Amino acid sequence: MRTKMFALFVLASILLSSCATATPSTQPETIIETVVVESTKLVEVEKTVPVEIEVLVTPTPGPNPEVVIEGVEPGAEITLWTFWLSPTFDEYIKSTIARFEETYPGVKVNWEDHQATFQDDLRNAFAAGNAPDVINLSVGEGWVSDYATQGLLLNLDDAVPQNVKDLYYPGLWQSQMVDGKNYQFPWYQGVAVELINTQLYQGTPEIDAEGKITGYAGGAGLKVEDFPKTVDGLPDLCKTIKEKTGTLCDIRLTVNDLLSQMVYEGNVKVMSDDGKQFTFDSPEAVEWLQMYVDMVKDGTVDKTVLVTTNDRVGLDLFTSGQAAFYQTGPNLIREVRANNPALYGYLAAVPAPVGKSGVLGKGLMGISVKGDTSYPNASIALAQFFTNPKSMLDFSKIVAIYPSTPASYEDPFFSTPSVAIEDSAKPIAKDIVSKYADIVPTIPNKADVNQIVLDAVQQALFNNVPAQQALSDAVAQANALLGQ
Amino acid sequence: MTRRTSLTPYLFLTPALLVIAVFTLYPIISVVYYSFTDYSIVTPPEWIGLRNYQQLMKDPVFWLALKHSFTYLLVTPTLIILCMILAIVVNRKLPGINLFRALYYIPVICGTIAVGIAWRMMLDTNGALNGLLLSMGILKEPVQWLAEPSYTLTIVMMLTIWLGLGYYMMIFLAGLQNIPEELYDAALIDGCNSWQKHWYVSVPGLRPQITFVAVISSLAALQVFNEVYILTGELGGILNSAVTIVFYMWRQAFRLHHAGMGSAVAMVLLIITLAFSIMNIRMLERGTEAQ
Amino acid sequence: MELTKSKPSSAIKQARVRGRTLETIFWYTVLCLIAVITVFPFIWVLSTSLKGPNDVIYSVPPQLFPNDPTIDNYRRVWQQLPMANFFTNSILVAAATVTLNLLFCSLAAYPFAKMQFRGKDLIFYLLLATFIVPPQLTYIPGFVLAVNVFHYYDTIFALIFPSLATVFNIFLMRQAFKTVPDELIDAGRIDGASELRIWWSILMPIVRPSLATIAIITFVSTWNDFLWPSLMLHTRERMTLPVGLANLQGMFTSDQRGIAAGVVMTIIPILIVFVLLQRQFVRGLSGAVKG
Repeated sequence: MRTKMFALFVLASILLSSCATATPSTQPETIIETVVVESTKLVEVEKTVPVEIEVLVTPTPGPNPEVVIEGVEPGAEITLWTFWLSPTFDEYIKSTIARFEETYPGVKVNWEDHQATFQDDLRNAFAAGNAPDVINLSVGEGWVSDYATQGLLLNLDDAVPQNVKDLYYPGLWQSQMVDGKNYQFPWYQGVAVELINTQLYQGTPEIDAEGKITGYAGGAGLKVEDFPKTVDGLPDLCKTIKEKTGTLCDIRLTVNDLLSQMVYEGNVKVMSDDGKQFTFDSPEAVEWLQMYVDMVKDGTVDKTVLVTTNDRVGLDLFTSGQAAFYQTGPNLIREVRANNPALYGYLAAVPAPVGKSGVLGKGLMGISVKGDTSYPNASIALAQFFTNPKSMLDFSKIVAIYPSTPASYEDPFFSTPSVAIEDSAKPIAKDIVSKYADIVPTIPNKADVNQIVLDAVQQALFNNVPAQQALSDAVAQANALLGQ
Repeated sequence: MTRRTSLTPYLFLTPALLVIAVFTLYPIISVVYYSFTDYSIVTPPEWIGLRNYQQLMKDPVFWLALKHSFTYLLVTPTLIILCMILAIVVNRKLPGINLFRALYYIPVICGTIAVGIAWRMMLDTNGALNGLLLSMGILKEPVQWLAEPSYTLTIVMMLTIWLGLGYYMMIFLAGLQNIPEELYDAALIDGCNSWQKHWYVSVPGLRPQITFVAVISSLAALQVFNEVYILTGELGGILNSAVTIVFYMWRQAFRLHHAGMGSAVAMVLLIITLAFSIMNIRMLERGTEAQ
Repeated sequence: MELTKSKPSSAIKQARVRGRTLETIFWYTVLCLIAVITVFPFIWVLSTSLKGPNDVIYSVPPQLFPNDPTIDNYRRVWQQLPMANFFTNSILVAAATVTLNLLFCSLAAYPFAKMQFRGKDLIFYLLLATFIVPPQLTYIPGFVLAVNVFHYYDTIFALIFPSLATVFNIFLMRQAFKTVPDELIDAGRIDGASELRIWWSILMPIVRPSLATIAIITFVSTWNDFLWPSLMLHTRERMTLPVGLANLQGMFTSDQRGIAAGVVMTIIPILIVFVLLQRQFVRGLSGAVKG
């Protein structure tokens, strides 16, 4: 067995070297367009993935190196649900599924993509007893722990072998854990960037007779590199922007998970260690909330965007050219470009400011497995397949998202510079993603507690209730829920 | 009417009664049951007695929702007055009057959602309304209409009124056309001018229509959801400023996954509707007696 | 106002004509003003839908006419959303609901109007009691029924079945049947016709205007129904228009022009139908209140 593998390995190296694409050369691939889907259709012989992982699909009979899960049920038919990836990524998903079905022959995959009603559909499917086996869930929005706490997901810590777990960044694997166990395969990650509308932020450049830029007019006159590195630099920035340009700041609270935002931005300890008391009325929490209260009082933020439940509203404001900056992932830059091509030429991107916790962020998307699936091994295999280094590398090549596996970053794709603004985070992605960590405790009755916090935050922001009082009242209400 | 001891009446009744039994009676009983349970639909219901009701009484948002729903009833008299006037205005034989009548009816056929989306576009901070008011000098700075808690409910109510204008106008119009000319002539002879003749002839003559509109629109006001959803999304307005009873119920049952609590709210709604219907039936009886 | 019918001189005649012309102009102005208020949001949506990517939507004052009209937005929305499906689903649901509902309710109304049988009063009051139930109350158990019992979640049957019979329509039909003289029915019975025959051949033709009215009211309310369909329908190809539209708004938030195009696409067909059937609408609505 081992000698056979070694032989394949040697064969592979010969093939690779002869293709001369494996060497990290200084070929500057200028990627202007980020839509190159054809590459995912290539047969995996020409590999650019580092040889630590055998990902060759050889035509000769032999164990497929991408097989990492044993005991896949023969004749399994499983359903996969993805979140808002169709129709843009139809090709990618379909080709990855095709590759999976080749790798694990005998398994059939049915794919459905759900969008705005994803959560509703999923809950109803669970209620009806026909939930999908493999589910793409948002780690960022906290869906994984939502379903895991109800016992609806498969415990992956117990079911997945250690060597597979080691493929992922530990910070991402240990996300959204319930009772110390993980329920998701980390999938594609985002890197929060601050998109800047240089016309508003800096101004339109005034060019003199020699073609040199003499100054900027009509904007706030700020320098892109001076964008605040920390969140508490935002209020002053917004004041300046309002004064100089009259536009409001386009900032959005994560209304579906305010406690999480408190933790990352304000370094707030939201629950006691024994999980019996809520503590989000601490001085740090008040300070965090007060920052936003002050911004609303100063009239420097757009109130509708601040508390909207639909994050695209914030993107919309920026896309329409009415806001100086907006925090989002580079993968959404394509929306800006589609809806306002004129703005695209004036975009700049800088890393998003860090919160007081010092932690840059947490995972974005994961893939989980239904708890009572009839085909656990097949389902785990599919979830792992989509999140394996090769699949994620392929995905990164067609859109500005980043893998959760260290191995993928070894590929020269990540070290080759590119000019497109969508790829501005590419060089720093590895550094950032490797530092992601989930520092929020599991919150019981999360939806209700979040509603309570949301109401309290609105009282402080819009109804002149002092932040401390609003938060303390909310803590009392939330604790009452715990007592049941 | 002959007395029948056969099955025939029951046979006629069966299809409809079956549907009503399954889709109205059974749900009522279920809702009563669910209101005493903790039920997330995904997992089976768990009996908790009166806890939902107790929590409901303590929830300030619930009382806010009640307040908003009762405030919403103001659309009824507004609609009655406006639509009567509108019907009187269009009740004249000008060429092309049918075109105008049709134009006023358009919002009704387009439906709440389409109209709501159009309104939302216009009410945007950078939307047409602000643009218009700014250019006319009425405003100095754009107003975030849907972000002002004190405006939100009013705006939502205005949407309902706007949507109802054409619909109820048609009803009043039909009623007006049934009032015999002689009554108007008699009024004129008695010395009424054109305003008074409407007060003394049209209004009393429209009594059945007024009752109809009052009943239908007040029940609809108590059950408002679509307008709130389409204008404020899932937030229900900043500070819950546009949350109505049904919106609150929907949020509890389908967003927070407390179908038990949602059922408790539904029971409250039932009691309120019951009270209203009794009032309306009394009004109806009095109205038909007068005739 | 001149009530005495004396022969007017030409000067007075001229004055009268001028007065009438002024009055006409006045009324047309009023009518147009109201029309503008009613129709403006749609004009704005239409204008937005025709604007190209470089045509500004946000401006002071708002720019009504696109500089660079394009139908690209329509093309884009048509490609990305199954608009045709939204229509056919809405039409199917509305047609099926109206037909079957009228059938069931008029069948049920006959015994109440023209027959005597055991339990008549009891059943009648029971139905009256359910009339009071707000429809939203039945949504939670209805949801459970759809998902767990009937398994028609995410199909149009989920919309049709619960609406197969409504108490309101039974009452309306009962009123209509009551106006039919008993002699006609007795004559039928003497002739040996079955009750079903009497119902179909004698009663139904007479109450056709009421049927039309109820059909229209039911159609409009089914066509615009939002909350229940949004709870039931999730696959985009199965959505009805209001749900599809709301979905459109959620999907295309950044794309105002696309949303506008979608809204226009949903409104135009209904408008056309309405314009064609305008007269029936008005006649139908006028009948609703009298009965």
